[in-house]
Amino acid sequence: MPSTSTLLSPELLARLEAMELVSRKIFRGRMKGERRSPRKGQSVEFADYRNYVPGDDLRFVDWNTYARLERLYLKLFLEEEDLHFYALVDASSSMDFGEPTKLRYALQLAASLGFIGLVRGDRIKIETLGQAPRTPAPVFRGRRSLWRMLDHLEGIRPGETASLAEGVKNFCLRNSGKGIVVLITDLMDKGGFEPALRYLVSQSMDVYVVQVLSAAEIDPDLQGDLRLIDCEDDDQAEVTVSKAVVDRYKQTLAAFVEGARSFCTRRGMSHVLTRTDAPLEQLIGGFLRTRGLVR
Amino acid sequence: MIPLAQSSNWFGSHTANMFSAWQWALLGLVPPAIILLYFLKLRRHPLVVPSTYLWRRSIEDLHVNSIWQRLRKNLLLLLQLLLILLVALAVLRPSVAGRKLTGERSIFVIDNSASMQAVDVKPSRLAEAKRHVRGLIDEMRSGDVAMLVSFSDVAKIEQPYTDDRRALREALERIQPTERRTDLGEALRVAAGLANPGRSGTDPNDIRTAAALPADLYIFSDGGFAPVAGFSLGNLKPTFVPVGAEAATNLAITAFGVGRSERDPQKLQAFGRIENLGAAQAGSTVELHLDGRLIDADRVDIPAGQGHSVAFDLSGVDTGTLRLRVSAEDDLPIDNEAFAVVGVPRQAEVLMLTPGNRPLELALQTGEVSELARVRIETPAFLKQPEYQTLAGSGALDWVIYDRCQPERLPTANTLFVGSLPPVGGWSADPKTGGLEIIDIDQSHPLLQWLDLGNVHVFLGSPLKPPQAARVLVDSDVGPLLAIAPREAYEDAVLAFPIVEQLPSGGQGMATDWPSRISFPTFMLNCAQYLGGARRGSAQDSIRPGDTVTLESPSTKTKLSVMTPRDEVLPVPVDPSGKAAFTSTGVQGIYRVQADRQPYRSFPVNLFDPAESNLALGAAPSLSIGHTQVAGQVSWEPSRNELWKWILLLGLAVLAFEWWLYNRRVYG
Repeated sequence: MPSTSTLLSPELLARLEAMELVSRKIFRGRMKGERRSPRKGQSVEFADYRNYVPGDDLRFVDWNTYARLERLYLKLFLEEEDLHFYALVDASSSMDFGEPTKLRYALQLAASLGFIGLVRGDRIKIETLGQAPRTPAPVFRGRRSLWRMLDHLEGIRPGETASLAEGVKNFCLRNSGKGIVVLITDLMDKGGFEPALRYLVSQSMDVYVVQVLSAAEIDPDLQGDLRLIDCEDDDQAEVTVSKAVVDRYKQTLAAFVEGARSFCTRRGMSHVLTRTDAPLEQLIGGFLRTRGLVR
Repeated sequence: MIPLAQSSNWFGSHTANMFSAWQWALLGLVPPAIILLYFLKLRRHPLVVPSTYLWRRSIEDLHVNSIWQRLRKNLLLLLQLLLILLVALAVLRPSVAGRKLTGERSIFVIDNSASMQAVDVKPSRLAEAKRHVRGLIDEMRSGDVAMLVSFSDVAKIEQPYTDDRRALREALERIQPTERRTDLGEALRVAAGLANPGRSGTDPNDIRTAAALPADLYIFSDGGFAPVAGFSLGNLKPTFVPVGAEAATNLAITAFGVGRSERDPQKLQAFGRIENLGAAQAGSTVELHLDGRLIDADRVDIPAGQGHSVAFDLSGVDTGTLRLRVSAEDDLPIDNEAFAVVGVPRQAEVLMLTPGNRPLELALQTGEVSELARVRIETPAFLKQPEYQTLAGSGALDWVIYDRCQPERLPTANTLFVGSLPPVGGWSADPKTGGLEIIDIDQSHPLLQWLDLGNVHVFLGSPLKPPQAARVLVDSDVGPLLAIAPREAYEDAVLAFPIVEQLPSGGQGMATDWPSRISFPTFMLNCAQYLGGARRGSAQDSIRPGDTVTLESPSTKTKLSVMTPRDEVLPVPVDPSGKAAFTSTGVQGIYRVQADRQPYRSFPVNLFDPAESNLALGAAPSLSIGHTQVAGQVSWEPSRNELWKWILLLGLAVLAFEWWLYNRRVYG
């Protein structure tokens, strides 16, 4: 077991082990029992009965019940679906800020969610936005893949230059089909986050947008005459920071976050804002459980 | 930055300005330079941030007027400009922010009485007062007008209202110390004449030279005078600046004279009184000089606040001038000397016209009176004789007593009417009435000095209705009993009751029991001295500096002149009655009167005023003017000296604040 990875602490691992990734779409269908899955018969876990309708597979008729009641009932079994989980991490330069850095936080989150999936035997894929369109990331499955996954995560470095929209588009091209995708980013893109999220909407996936901001971004502690330099495009903004300007910045930030949230909500996506100094357990056990990503 | 519009007011010979014009111009360039540097070298601290995305959106609307925005937000720049402004202000040594001279019209009233020569503040109290006024004159702005008045017991307008500061300064320098006493009242009336409508300083018909406007009245004095009663300040806003130390040392001669020795009337004696008006016990040698030679000395040690008398025998001295001197150094030197004259007594010529009055005759035959006066007694019938006409009109008589008789014309002499009235001058009397009770006597008048009339009963008298100018000396329950009124160069005294009354039976009855009292011969002695013009003993009475002396010429043809202690010879015009008024008695010392260039007589001028010699200001000096109490501004200083220091201090505070702010921004 490589000791180099510090993404997940043993305590966190112990807590995550009891959790499970949930796809809301599948969860809903199962409760109503309306959805027919071609793999249903292969499960051994009994779920429910329903009336026989012509055309049903006779192999699932409960003959014992028919013997007693003389009516045909079909036995339904819980599907044991192979869940596809994607974590899409923004590894641009802007993520290399904060204490710990936003990227570090994003990787920890991806590792945590990935671990949950691995434990449940889900199919885990962790990609970054700056990844080349035609080079898919490795797929992890099963508890044994944990260290491989962590190695892969440790290998992710900040400094990717792809824009948010471009990275998401490439991701969508590489990965089609159903599943859960968690986009971990700060959404700070001069081109706007809307085009990127629209690409995700077009996929029939459960989309979670986790917006990671550092404490310095949420509550800036700046003063005086400053020349702010954008770490990604070297854009410079001269600001004489006063309390009024800071207040104005906070208003702008709040409007920006609210805009992202409402954009996501209207399109059936979940938006979660987190800050790097908030404990990871709190995010996973609190916010994401509330939003239904894990249980 | 620099008030260019006002600069001309500050430039030139104004001492408050510390910079020349080009230095001001240089200073004026500093603030624009600071602003320029801020635009050029606004050093912004570079800071790498994840994204400028949100910051740009935040400051988008602020960019509209970013230059002014930059200035507005830049506290450091504002502080630096403020600092430069304060420095410039301090260099101006301004009276702008805290002028004590707040009125447009100011009246500076400077006390130059004797006590202002005190040296308890260096170099002297008067110099200190002048320094204050000089500071105020420096603070005047163009358009401000001021008047300069000096006062002792008289007031003098040194400079009428003007806005010419140079004229004011020159007038200020002209003020010299006097040896006179203090009376603020006249200075106030002079000031009020110009400040209050309907009043004039000198003449009710005077045309006012300036419109009646409110004025600030600055009084620089050491006090030492009685409250000014019956005066309303009106438009004047008084500020009293006491000049002098809270306590001072001073040994003062408050009396000095020559008289007959009590034990041996043949011998002359010089006596003096020395008071210690300081706060601590003081001792000194007291020297007596005769005509410049030291003839005697004594040693005195006087506790604080008390006096001590000294007496010197003058055996064998007939004539000469005496000088008494306290040799100890103190804060007021001028009251350490006193002068007296020993001379041959001149007897008064007295004529009494009486139908017979034994008590009066007796009172005029006492040893004291006969030494002073030659008394001739005649009956009223003498009035009709030509000899009387000659005597009464020639001025040869000093004093005429009319006992129950009345002349047709008043003589060229002082008179005393007993039981009768002068024929002219507005005198009248009530009908005779009995049982008059004396209720008030004016002991301040020389005629009634040392008299106690409480035990005197008047059985019969005619209460007087004296003329307006008269002074009532003795008042009774029904009217005045003794009054005195001036008449040209003379005075007429009228006693409302006869001493003796002719009874219908033919004998004489007493109209009063006064002759049986000790006060009666004393009264007659006072009359002989005052009305007879005789001087007690052999010494001339001292007069106070500034008082008028009436000189009697031996004849109307004589030319009189007076040699002052400063050896100036001043001619004195003689009026037709043979009298001459001499007023230039400003300094202490012996004044020698010459008649036709021959020594005639001498008289001494001495201060003799404990109030003037008392230098102590007290802890809280104040003035009482009418019903207004004016508290003294004890710590009064020309404001200019104070202000620039405070402004510089404020500048330092701004600098410290700026430094703190800078550190907080850069390193905090």
